Amino acid sequence: MTELSATHFLLLSAALFIIGMVGVLTRRNILVIFMCIELMLNAVNVSLIGFAWELHQLTGQVFALFVIAIAAAEAVVGLGIVMALTRRADTVDIDELRQLRE
Amino acid sequence: MSLQVLIFSLLACVSILGALGVVIARNPVHSAIGLVLSFLNVAAIYLIARAEFLAVVQVIVYAGAVIVLVVFVTMLVHPDDLPEFHGRRPLRIVTGLVLGVALLLEVAAAVLTRSLSGAPGPWTDEAVAAVGGNTQALGQTLYSDYMLAIQLTALLLLAATIGAIVLARPEAVSERVAAARRTLTISLAHPRGLDQPERPPALPRPSDGQVKPAGSGRPIVLARSANEFTEQPAWGEWRTP
Repeated sequence: MTELSATHFLLLSAALFIIGMVGVLTRRNILVIFMCIELMLNAVNVSLIGFAWELHQLTGQVFALFVIAIAAAEAVVGLGIVMALTRRADTVDIDELRQLRE
Repeated sequence: MSLQVLIFSLLACVSILGALGVVIARNPVHSAIGLVLSFLNVAAIYLIARAEFLAVVQVIVYAGAVIVLVVFVTMLVHPDDLPEFHGRRPLRIVTGLVLGVALLLEVAAAVLTRSLSGAPGPWTDEAVAAVGGNTQALGQTLYSDYMLAIQLTALLLLAATIGAIVLARPEAVSERVAAARRTLTISLAHPRGLDQPERPPALPRPSDGQVKPAGSGRPIVLARSANEFTEQPAWGEWRTP
């Protein structure tokens, strides 16, 4: 552990991912849940880039670039859904958005 | 412990603190600030891993575009002061924390006992420097081996844009027309002229030097409501005294 290795990247990635996961599980504000999803996608990028750095490959960086592009698309669509939801239901509390269940 | 590990640990700690701030903060804007902090530190970690292009993309796309989008939407929705973390759902919070700690322990055990397999690839620091840098090397890989994937990504972005426009469209057209009728209407011509089967006489063609003959131009109709608007004489019925 005295030299930087992919293990450091993986531990950071796991920490960020699990913080994001706990946020998705515990929060009720849909905007914060959305930000936690972005955090989880970013954590995946950290581990991809750590592997690319350790193995002297560029494939990990290419995949991280695709993940960023998909995260941007997901942000656009997700925030569009948030806007449509708040216009119809006038709330950002996911506990009150249960039209599909009832 | 080398200096590199020290810097990495510092950046990682600030990044994790920002991520914790996202989860803990009650105000969504504070969550967004924590998210920016986490993203910027992760971008610096990309620089340590010699991924300069992705560090820049991270700052522009994540810390720039996505956060701006999130803050805009936070501004547009009504900020309900949700009683989060303070009663009402303790079971959910306990379950989430227990699951998180369990998963963290499992992943940490898996990471610390892993054995690296797979041969190192061709892109050593010297090879990357030989083609001109990280951006050039990434571009060569991206546009040779991943040509189809990058075109599909472009298609995905287009589809996401169209989907967002459809989702965020204000309301039905009839509601917009009704809303527009409630406000002041300014028109340069009467809309009833378009509905009539026989078309009103065409406007006099402008002569060479003159755009419109004085006194015979289209009247400007100012109306406060649609009914008031239709009661005014239409184009064609207009009689100049």
